[in-house]
Amino acid sequence: MSEAQADDAMKLGLLRTMLLIRKLETAWGDAYFNEEIGGIPPSLSTGQEAVSAGACAALEQGDYVFTTHRGQAPQVARGLDPKRIMAELYCRRDGYNKGKSYHVTDVTRGVIGMGGIVAAQVPVAGGMALAQKLKGGGRVSVAFFGDGASNEGAVHETANLAAMWTLPLILLCENNGYCITLPVAAAVKTASIADRAAGYGLPGVTVDGNDALAVRDAVAAAVARARSGGGATLIDAKTLRLGGHLCHDAQGYRSKEELAAAWERCPIKRLRERLLAEALLTAEAYARLEAEVDGEVAAAVEFARQSPAPQVREAYEDLWA
Amino acid sequence: MFDRRLFRAGGPVKPEEREWPTFRSAIGEGMREEMRRDPGVIQMGEDIALASPFGVTSGLAAEFGSERVRDTPCSEVAVVGAAVGAAIGGMRPVVELQFGDFMSVAIDQLTHQAAMLRYLTGGQVKVPLVIRLPCGAGQGAGSQHSQALYSWFAHVPGIKVALPSTSMDAKGLIKSAIRDDNPVLFFEHKALYRTRWPVEPAFRDADFLIPFGRAAVRRGGKDITVVATLVMVHHALAAAEVLAADGVSVEVIDPRTLVPLDMETIVGSVRKTGRLLVVDEAYLCCGIQGEILAGVTESAFSALKSAPRRLGNPGVPVPFAPSLEDAVLPGRDRIVKAIREMLAT
Repeated sequence: MSEAQADDAMKLGLLRTMLLIRKLETAWGDAYFNEEIGGIPPSLSTGQEAVSAGACAALEQGDYVFTTHRGQAPQVARGLDPKRIMAELYCRRDGYNKGKSYHVTDVTRGVIGMGGIVAAQVPVAGGMALAQKLKGGGRVSVAFFGDGASNEGAVHETANLAAMWTLPLILLCENNGYCITLPVAAAVKTASIADRAAGYGLPGVTVDGNDALAVRDAVAAAVARARSGGGATLIDAKTLRLGGHLCHDAQGYRSKEELAAAWERCPIKRLRERLLAEALLTAEAYARLEAEVDGEVAAAVEFARQSPAPQVREAYEDLWA
Repeated sequence: MFDRRLFRAGGPVKPEEREWPTFRSAIGEGMREEMRRDPGVIQMGEDIALASPFGVTSGLAAEFGSERVRDTPCSEVAVVGAAVGAAIGGMRPVVELQFGDFMSVAIDQLTHQAAMLRYLTGGQVKVPLVIRLPCGAGQGAGSQHSQALYSWFAHVPGIKVALPSTSMDAKGLIKSAIRDDNPVLFFEHKALYRTRWPVEPAFRDADFLIPFGRAAVRRGGKDITVVATLVMVHHALAAAEVLAADGVSVEVIDPRTLVPLDMETIVGSVRKTGRLLVVDEAYLCCGIQGEILAGVTESAFSALKSAPRRLGNPGVPVPFAPSLEDAVLPGRDRIVKAIREMLAT
């Protein structure tokens, strides 16, 4: 495959990944509304798919990502099996974590599911980066966090420590514009969260988080710097949350106009139109892709439904090593 | 009353004691051996490379270098979190917080991340880390540098808690802590750092370990069981000495670890003596004293000849003024008084 062909395949792959994230998560939300699953309502990444798809396209085997409470997108983008993701979200035994938690993790693909405490994954990702640095081998860690988390001390402390220790860490702010109901403009008084990087002595990069290719390029540059010993980067990937904070959130605090404008910037729509314009995609091929992804999602849901619940004794297992 | 004379802070050492290792050197020596044994053991903490305030890490930076002995900024959240991440990544980090009270600053990283991540991931990760916490009162260090907060952490599933009281135990327990695949909090009472204790020949063995969950019977007795930790072990032994002159026989048990807790040894002792007193510096409310009392009461109620009792901080911040600090802490005389009252009923 030539370089150009590889690039084309990568672009189509990003589109597929984003579609799979969107449709898998939509099915998860449906399972909540259908009362197939209970508990805390699903936190979907609708509209934010480009951040995870782009970022994970810049990573290799052996790299780690640390997810947020909105963590399904990087799980899919890192190549986890949608069946086992869905089984976990249904709290079934064939899930990645044996159906016992929300924190979908696959250490073999470098995905650590966190997110119960806002920003807590960021220092832990810093520690993984320290281990990677001490072991050698050029591996990197990515800490996903949101604009809400960007105001937590854990992020500030870790950014400073990463600069002090030249850690191979990518601090990737998936800035979706809202900390539940609080707009980022109200809570962050710099134009970009990446402007704060100067205060730590780190490079800061602002990127259009709804452009999967731009995210990929920005993260790839940060990864290259980290692999070569150049240390950490803080990236503000500005995206837009299209759904509510959780799937039952009707977003009464956002105007119809604001939401309509946000939907116009949908990252899947944008990449699809771009690939159509570049003649990398046809309407027929896109329809086939959608049907294929729909089938994959339906199979994941069916797999989750058929998987048994964990046994009671399993509540008492996996605490101690 | 807390008796400061029990712990000579740098005072003259008797000739026979010169060969005894200090408590702090025992911890340092244990860590040095484990760092030689396993290149994955790393150290993180404030001022640990050049001049940590209590000197426990002295010499480690010179031997192992600044990659493995890492001075940190005042960023407890990031440092404890980094230890969690490094542990998941295959290292065995040992963190020193300058005072154990500062664990409060980073409590989320400990109780929600270090303690829970294995469970949350269905056993996919392990978090082998040690956090060393200088603790305890008696040095006039003030309310925010003098507490005994291990009850907070023993309360949460997923964290082991070690409480060494002698040089022998300090070394054997720190080595076990570093080799353990779980998060361990290692509480070091500041009043013990400069004390010297006799050791057995096994102390010099590079594989000398003291297993967690095994209490030590510090003194055998038949009239009452006293369970005590850290410095209070030595106050209880001093009290037992006073009472022996009156013909009272006191058994002193040092649990050595709170998680896991060796209830079997404690309950066995109470079945023999019929009386229980628990002595600890922790605040009495929801303290570890009550937990031990409850465990004994549940499993050996019929063996009790009198109501079990607790001594501890009655529920005020540890005062800065030495006279007030002494007043709120349990100590030898208060232990003697409590035992006499219990034996009179």
